[in-house]
Amino acid sequence: MRAWIAAHVQAAERAGKRLLATPLASLLSVCVIGVAIMLPLGLYALFANITAAASRLNTEPNVNVYLQVAATDADAKEIENRLKAMANTTDVRFITREVALAEMKRMASMANLLAGLESNPLPHAFLLKPKSVEAAALEAMRKEIAAIPKVDAVVMDFEWAKKLQRFATFAERMVALLGLVLGLAVVFVTGNTIRLQMLTQKDEIEVSRLIGATNRFIRRPFLYYGALQGFLAGTAATVCMTALIWWASSEVQALTISYGSDFSIKHLTLDQVLTVLGIGAALGWLGGFLSVSLYLRDSATR
Amino acid sequence: MITFSNTVKRYPNSFEALRGVSLSIEKGEMVAITGHSGAGKSTLLKLAAGIELASQGSVLVSHQNLSQIKEAGLAVLRRNLGLVFQDHKLLFDRSAFENVSLPLSIAGFPRADVGKRVRAALDKVGLLNREKSNPVTLSGGEQQRLCIARAIVNRPAILIADEPTGNLDQDYAATIMDLFKSFNQVGVTVLLSTHDEIGLARLNCRRIQLVQGKVAA
Repeated sequence: MRAWIAAHVQAAERAGKRLLATPLASLLSVCVIGVAIMLPLGLYALFANITAAASRLNTEPNVNVYLQVAATDADAKEIENRLKAMANTTDVRFITREVALAEMKRMASMANLLAGLESNPLPHAFLLKPKSVEAAALEAMRKEIAAIPKVDAVVMDFEWAKKLQRFATFAERMVALLGLVLGLAVVFVTGNTIRLQMLTQKDEIEVSRLIGATNRFIRRPFLYYGALQGFLAGTAATVCMTALIWWASSEVQALTISYGSDFSIKHLTLDQVLTVLGIGAALGWLGGFLSVSLYLRDSATR
Repeated sequence: MITFSNTVKRYPNSFEALRGVSLSIEKGEMVAITGHSGAGKSTLLKLAAGIELASQGSVLVSHQNLSQIKEAGLAVLRRNLGLVFQDHKLLFDRSAFENVSLPLSIAGFPRADVGKRVRAALDKVGLLNREKSNPVTLSGGEQQRLCIARAIVNRPAILIADEPTGNLDQDYAATIMDLFKSFNQVGVTVLLSTHDEIGLARLNCRRIQLVQGKVAA
């Protein structure tokens, strides 16, 4: 057990020395791998924020039906009955033009504007909830309501929110896909740097095998090398990402305040940082493993 | 200790380097393989060290059939084998000391014991004062001795040397042959190849002559 630990300590030391022996080359490969990690990480952070913002939007399906300004209370009563009779409506709420105006006057910015008006410009309106939010059902409903006399407009204002949510799901999948592809890139980049490493140590590997080194012994320092490289790249990526989010967050903060929202940007959590470091190290290790195994297979004397 | 039975080695270009060799080397014995270049001396030693595989027949080292041994098993076997190469196979990116300590770190020796072992081996071949030198600064004879120090640092039971005096002048050759003799005297089985008659006379051991891939009668 002690010998096993000593062997691993020795391999880790050798890996560290090799990394430091060619500082510029190591820095470059760490940067390349770091960028490969940062791309999906950055997109993940971006879409995590978009999804968080989207989930704050009211995606409850509401349909607004605006009547013509000329529509009377009697017209409204009749339309209300027709709306209630429709198959796809549940909760039908009548909002009279007076109520709408009073509500609007409560908004400070609107009060001045409305004060200048002689008559109420607002129409009667209905707020209703559809039973089915299927696109086809909603479209049929929209047509049916629009065909009612004295109905001015049918607005389904939740549609874009729905689209945004769908987009977020799509984006999530894209991030996962990109992560997968760039994860492979990390494996290949590490594999390649380790292959070059091995070429410079061809003699050492050959001699070591001749004097009793097992494949595992030869592989070990390269695995540490790959894992170390991936870990450093992960560190670089998370540091850059955090800096970037901080930089962006001041702007976003100013923007959300101007929109009267209390939305705040999401930073990387400790869990996420540790996951990125772990994945970086694991991918580097995998790259090293593949590279050394291929090399040992091809250079085997028997 | 080492047994060849009807061993044939055919290279991919269908050249037969060994054409049915049978021989046996006992524990503690010293054997010199002689013959002209191309007679199969190097091939025989490579088979004994498990560097090449027999095409037919078998090679047994310490009762293990080298054709059937696994990669890890061969590695462990090699730790008990001291190999001296014609081209030395020293590593020029590190000191003499580090070259000699390589087998010990591979075998997982405790670090504390490494220094003592390495210096004992270097002392044995007369290179103790050169431990910090890069092998590239050593003469041909010194490089050969460094290679021997690396082969014996693990105190192997078997020493296999391919033309250890190949490119050396007489004085150096004599020292190296004396070294092998002294290892044999402390019980190490020695198998070496040479075509150096003066060295052979100095060794005064059993000879096996190869002629065109066969043991000469």
